[in-house]
Amino acid sequence: MTQPAISVKDLSYSYGDNLAVDGIAFDVAAGEVIGFLGPNGAGKSTVVKILTGQLTPLKGTAVLLGLDIVKERKQVQHQIGISFEDTNLYEQMSAVENLDLFAKLYKVENFDAMSLLEKVGLAGREKERVASYSKGMKQRLMVARAMVSDPKMLFLDEPTDGLDPVSTQTIHALIRGATQRGTTVFLTTHDMVEADKLSNRVAFINQGKIVALDTPARLKQRFGLRALKVEVELPHGETAIREVTLDEEQTAQAVFDLFRNERIVTVHSEEATLEDIFFDITGRGLQG
Amino acid sequence: MDMQRIWILLGKEARLGATNFMGIYVLVMPVIISLLIALVFGDLLAQTPRLGVFDAGGNERFLQPLIDHPSMNTTVYNSDAALQADVTRGAAEVGLSLPVGFSEALESGSEDVEFTTYRWGEAGTRSLMLLESTLARALAEGSVGRGFEELPVSVNAEQLGSANTATWSQRLLPLILIMAIMLGGLFIPAFSLIEERQKRTLVAVTTTPTSLLDVYLSKALLGFLLSGIMSVIILLLNRAFAGQLGLLLVVIALGALMSSVIGIILGSVAKDMDTFMGIIKALGIVLYAPGILRIFPQAPEWIGRLFPTYYVMNPLLEVSQNGARFADIVVDIAVLAAIIAALLFILSRVIGHQQQQLALGG
Repeated sequence: MTQPAISVKDLSYSYGDNLAVDGIAFDVAAGEVIGFLGPNGAGKSTVVKILTGQLTPLKGTAVLLGLDIVKERKQVQHQIGISFEDTNLYEQMSAVENLDLFAKLYKVENFDAMSLLEKVGLAGREKERVASYSKGMKQRLMVARAMVSDPKMLFLDEPTDGLDPVSTQTIHALIRGATQRGTTVFLTTHDMVEADKLSNRVAFINQGKIVALDTPARLKQRFGLRALKVEVELPHGETAIREVTLDEEQTAQAVFDLFRNERIVTVHSEEATLEDIFFDITGRGLQG
Repeated sequence: MDMQRIWILLGKEARLGATNFMGIYVLVMPVIISLLIALVFGDLLAQTPRLGVFDAGGNERFLQPLIDHPSMNTTVYNSDAALQADVTRGAAEVGLSLPVGFSEALESGSEDVEFTTYRWGEAGTRSLMLLESTLARALAEGSVGRGFEELPVSVNAEQLGSANTATWSQRLLPLILIMAIMLGGLFIPAFSLIEERQKRTLVAVTTTPTSLLDVYLSKALLGFLLSGIMSVIILLLNRAFAGQLGLLLVVIALGALMSSVIGIILGSVAKDMDTFMGIIKALGIVLYAPGILRIFPQAPEWIGRLFPTYYVMNPLLEVSQNGARFADIVVDIAVLAAIIAALLFILSRVIGHQQQQLALGG
């Protein structure tokens, strides 16, 4: 059996009396994109901080790429790249200088900053001070910085939070490119559309616990109710929407009755979003 | 610890420090103050020792080599009173009043000759040493074939002006020296560390294979180098880079180490720049007190000994100005080494706590 890229067992962490991570356990396969979804304060960033060696867990173990994050922290950090939630670039330096500095710290040989900057759409402005960059440009540079060592594992903490669609698309393309090269991606976000698009599996974290972990499709299948939305024409030319819930015993009969008795204008299928499912499971929204 | 990474980070520190206002400030400030003091109190425009001579008659052969000497400014006066007046106000640091036939008597050695020297009370040690040794040489050369102990001369030495008083340049030198050591060594690492913590770049660096110790060492190394270089520059500017060079450099290195370790500790514990500046305001008097006390020569020496920077300042001045040897300053060096050891112990505890604090946003 192939060794998982991340193997977490009974992991806990608390800030004083506040239990931020409560005995979570999960495995991530090599090359997989796992989306960690949860509202602010759910424990997502704490998990990232533990897995990247910034915090020492109170209890439990985390093994990344076969290495224990507590006992072999620096060896793990040599093989991972991190894009932080808050911008933390050297703003008095240029983009090239930022990337070159980190490449040297990772001891990357023959590092080509320009090719990476081209990928994130910053070529042409590579010599400007980062302080003059927009938020989107800084965020793209953060993701590029996480990739300077061509890491086996990427941690991306809210990589597209508050970004314009162009920057978001660029970052999504980078993530897809990384996964095609076999990089494992640990993505924390509260953007369910992003998680749905990019993740092989998503984990819902709430109050420090993982309350669900599966592929988006299976989660929707398990927790969400699919429906048909049918627009029908009424006698005086008006229209109305009829909704038929799928996957139920009486669904077939309901669809048959609808098509026999009504004049159909349009038919749309609708499935639950990850946010709907999260709400169903936890009783709270992802923005809360 | 990884020397390659420390070197890379040191380069980054130097690159950012060179464009940083605080970096420029701490480098330029002691130099400007030093130059201003030299300008105001006259040393800058009168760097050459000043000798005044009154010749009562017939001493040209003795006098000419002194006039021609490239390392002194020699002024010939036409009366003893004029010579005394200029020595009293410091226009000449040493005055030489030669009686009639002094030169001839010195050459023949036939009779014991007498002459008078005047010495300005505030003359600098370096000037006095140069002037007096030149005179001694001139006397020996004028009295061919004799050793110093056989010279047929007796000297009436008179001190003019305020006696036993250091010049203002000498009084202020200790304070400027402390500023040079502390500004470069303490401020640069502390500011850099606080800024990196606040902007969270420290977290970005320490989540690479680079350790927190590597980061701290790179910052401490920059502070150490700046502090050492600034100390040497200030001593050179004040013409006090003298004495046993090796010993002087050892004391400078220990002082630079102390200030950079204090800088790293303060940079780690201060929550932000405002807190740091508050600490510095409170701590400033402790750091600068030995230098301030030296401005007032009547202040008891023991008060200065209560402050840690005394153990950098005093040995530096003893070596550079009084020609002290290691045995003369061994107690100060031992105390300084103990202070540094205590600071390193505190630093090791600080590093232990810092990693978790960084993750928590501290």
